[in-house]
Amino acid sequence: MMRLVATFLLVAAPAFAQDPAVPTYVDETMAAGIGGTYAGDWEYMVGGGAASFDCNDDGFPDLLLSGGIDPARFYRNVATQGGPLAFVQEPSGLELTEVVQTYPLDVDGDGITDLALLRIGEVVLMRGLGDCQFARANEEWSFDGGDAWWSAFAATWEDGQDWPTLALGSYIDRHEDAFPWGSCTENRLYRPGDAGFAPPIALTPSHCPLAMMFTDWARTGTPDLRVSNDREYYKGGEEQLWHIPAGEPPRLWTADEGWQRLRIWGMGIASRDFDADGFPEYFLTSMADNKLQTLSDPVAGAVPEYRDVALSRGVTAHRPYIGDDLRPSTAWHVQIEDVNNDGLADIWVVKGNVDQMPDFAQEDPNNLLLQRPDGTFMEAGDSAGVASTDIGRGGLLVDFNLDGLLDMVVVNRRTAPQIWRNTGTGEVFGFAAFRLLATGANRDGINAWIELRTDGGTQRREITLGGGHASGQLGWWHFGLGTATIAEVRVLWPDGAEGPWAPVASGGFYLLTPDSPPVTWTPDRE
Amino acid sequence: MRMTRRRAATVLVASSLALQAKAHTPFPGAVADDDVRARAAIDGWYRLILELVRHTPTYSPPVAARAFGYLGVTAWEATVAAFPTHRSLAGQLDGLAPLPMLKGAPPDFGVVLNAALAAAVPVLFANTGPTGQRAMATMADRLAARMAAGLDDAMVTAARRQGQAIADHILAWSATDGGAEVSNMGFAASWPAPEEPSGWVPTSSVRQQQAPLLPGWGQNRPFAMPADNACLLPAPPAYSTDQDSAFYAEAMAVHAATANLTPEQEMIARFWSDDPMLSPTPPGHWITIARIVLDDQDADAVTRADTLARVGIGLADAMIACWHAKFEFDLLRPVTYIRAQIDPAFTPILITPPFPEYPSGHSTLSGASAEILTAVFGSNLAFTDTTHEDDGLPARSFTDFWEAAEEAGISRLYGGIHFPAAIHRGLEQGRCVAGWTNALVTRT
Repeated sequence: MMRLVATFLLVAAPAFAQDPAVPTYVDETMAAGIGGTYAGDWEYMVGGGAASFDCNDDGFPDLLLSGGIDPARFYRNVATQGGPLAFVQEPSGLELTEVVQTYPLDVDGDGITDLALLRIGEVVLMRGLGDCQFARANEEWSFDGGDAWWSAFAATWEDGQDWPTLALGSYIDRHEDAFPWGSCTENRLYRPGDAGFAPPIALTPSHCPLAMMFTDWARTGTPDLRVSNDREYYKGGEEQLWHIPAGEPPRLWTADEGWQRLRIWGMGIASRDFDADGFPEYFLTSMADNKLQTLSDPVAGAVPEYRDVALSRGVTAHRPYIGDDLRPSTAWHVQIEDVNNDGLADIWVVKGNVDQMPDFAQEDPNNLLLQRPDGTFMEAGDSAGVASTDIGRGGLLVDFNLDGLLDMVVVNRRTAPQIWRNTGTGEVFGFAAFRLLATGANRDGINAWIELRTDGGTQRREITLGGGHASGQLGWWHFGLGTATIAEVRVLWPDGAEGPWAPVASGGFYLLTPDSPPVTWTPDRE
Repeated sequence: MRMTRRRAATVLVASSLALQAKAHTPFPGAVADDDVRARAAIDGWYRLILELVRHTPTYSPPVAARAFGYLGVTAWEATVAAFPTHRSLAGQLDGLAPLPMLKGAPPDFGVVLNAALAAAVPVLFANTGPTGQRAMATMADRLAARMAAGLDDAMVTAARRQGQAIADHILAWSATDGGAEVSNMGFAASWPAPEEPSGWVPTSSVRQQQAPLLPGWGQNRPFAMPADNACLLPAPPAYSTDQDSAFYAEAMAVHAATANLTPEQEMIARFWSDDPMLSPTPPGHWITIARIVLDDQDADAVTRADTLARVGIGLADAMIACWHAKFEFDLLRPVTYIRAQIDPAFTPILITPPFPEYPSGHSTLSGASAEILTAVFGSNLAFTDTTHEDDGLPARSFTDFWEAAEEAGISRLYGGIHFPAAIHRGLEQGRCVAGWTNALVTRT
């Protein structure tokens, strides 16, 4: 017998005894001094990134926002510790047009942050000159920025190298207006050369990626390249994982090695070791569904077989959770951070319709999924005050005013960006923030692991450069401590060196170096 | 395992009307200019809609089949407008009233056909994304310019007006069939647990697929079938966990087939997988086969329109008949039963579709398509199916349409997503559906 079709019913979610404390976010967009739009038509339907980095050595994260057909906009952070969010837009040399994605990294290892600007056309590497001034460096660094619809970026430092390896993803052949499907253009791997970068290596087959991440998923000490591809445009494609062995050509992980075919509208990636087994889980954003992948057999020598636990953990985020628009969602940037400092990493997802797609929600609120102690998640976007239904793309969770609470900035398509200040939960939860100062060329310790342990357990995160959607950051790496007042931290450095456990106190900012104890840092502007 | 070919269905209401269909042989030879342009219009729009089906999320197989049905009828009615000696489908298809005809000389074939498709496609694919919208606009501009080249402006204007009127008429008819509005990508918002152990339960970890796809589709108005239940099926083997039961044997057949797949069998499973949003879907696969054969035959534009209309109608009706049965019998999938009763580690190589098992939709579609194409082109017409070459799957060759249909059916066993009975009876249900399509009279 046919079962009765149920009608849509919106039922208030029941409260769990373990429900986490909800932070209160205050929209300070107008007062904070940021504005402009991510503008443009078809070629700008993806992208829309933000970058956060400290370019004047004051410890406060500065901000760059993509402008699409409009120039990118740089904002110097002028906030005081614990005060309102405040920025001043200044000329920086970064004001290029056609910028769609933005990533900070120190390419030349001089201790001054540089920028990778992915554009519709040429990728431009901008060398940091100090005091938030930047200059084009493609020629100086022998970098061929190509001519494509650039759509993904990741960086790492391969073993023994004093220059970074960059992965660049490109999207559709933008000149194919009648039959663009199946026209994914070539991804590239840029490795160190004699002077700067060597000529790029093709990462083919290429399947229209929208996010990439170098990640040591198997804890072998050598990161591989995880690529999330948009099935809307590829033919014969799937999600990809590339071996990137030092000194050898890249090669795909294959089905014979355990790689399982997954085909989604891949739009963003973030990772965190949620279950404290030492191996990262991966959150993949998509449309009408999102994936939370956990390694099936997390042991040394693991093969890349993952189980999707998004449904059981309550993080499918597949449709709006407020309002009357119950069509499926469209998810872009994802970031995993502890926004309420309870010691459990949370998941933030930026949402927005591609462009008037009637099958998908037009009023599509961003998600703030707070982790419960049992590993499930609770939607708190509305109660936290960040359920924006603007057409989101990229974004960042960053502690802009250095009060130990992660603030939030979102880049929206065709409307103004939004920024919220996290004013806390009312609970007495602490935090610790760390900045890596590595020796050698990889000064920011990309692909290091930071581990922090308290009585509540051990948290660990891999420091990656890439992932999310179109957005990247360098600076403080944040941990919530819950009610713990002290903790211990150590770093597993990218070269394999294993730092000692060292004590840190709740509420502190620390500089971590390989050969000395954590150094307490305090801001000048209080 | 080899299917019994063309097994007589004893309980199906297999219409003898199928025998009345005429095999229309294309007539290669001197090609008129308007035929060249009409072919270009058909080929351009069908190439595009096969992409739109793949890249428009709501276009699951039933929705895709419906679009192929209406677009096929649109193309055929435009053909009739240009060549009034051919016979309209009005009065032959359920609810299709006579089409408006402008006074004066018949319109130019290419212009009216292109205008009708250019008006219908953006409506039937209104929910495609920005890239699809851009592609439709580009196609419309390019083909409109090509169709009008060298023709009198007044004649072009009149033919376009006629094409638009045809499309408007077909679209108005389509709006009342029960399938025009599809929300949540076709998935019910929620779904109760089955009352019987035989009932379908979700097999996916995707939240949206915790409820089945298009549970009401089987009640849609059919095209050529007299009713949604015109091709009923017998019940599947009675559900049982008894190891001596016929149902257990069905499950064991799936388990055995998937446990020892040869490379060829795995290739067959993947070739006919035709996953929504990753392929033109099973209906689009058969539209592609029709186009391949039409090209092989160098068929004229009238034959192309006729054939694509027939296949489209058959596909649409096949999905209605199949979905009617799926929710009538509400049977669980092999993966659910086998993991519970036989092998907890059972993992089929194909993704199990999110709706009840019986009968196999691809089998019903394939049976219908094979029977219709055989009626058009005759039996024993060999062809090579290149549908998935862009996706890296090599072409496969078949001696006739039914060989392809049977391979499509058995692919679901190799893929571990259907029991044998669903395949056998699905093919026969398709034959029944095709009987109604083949009874349509288009050319006299």
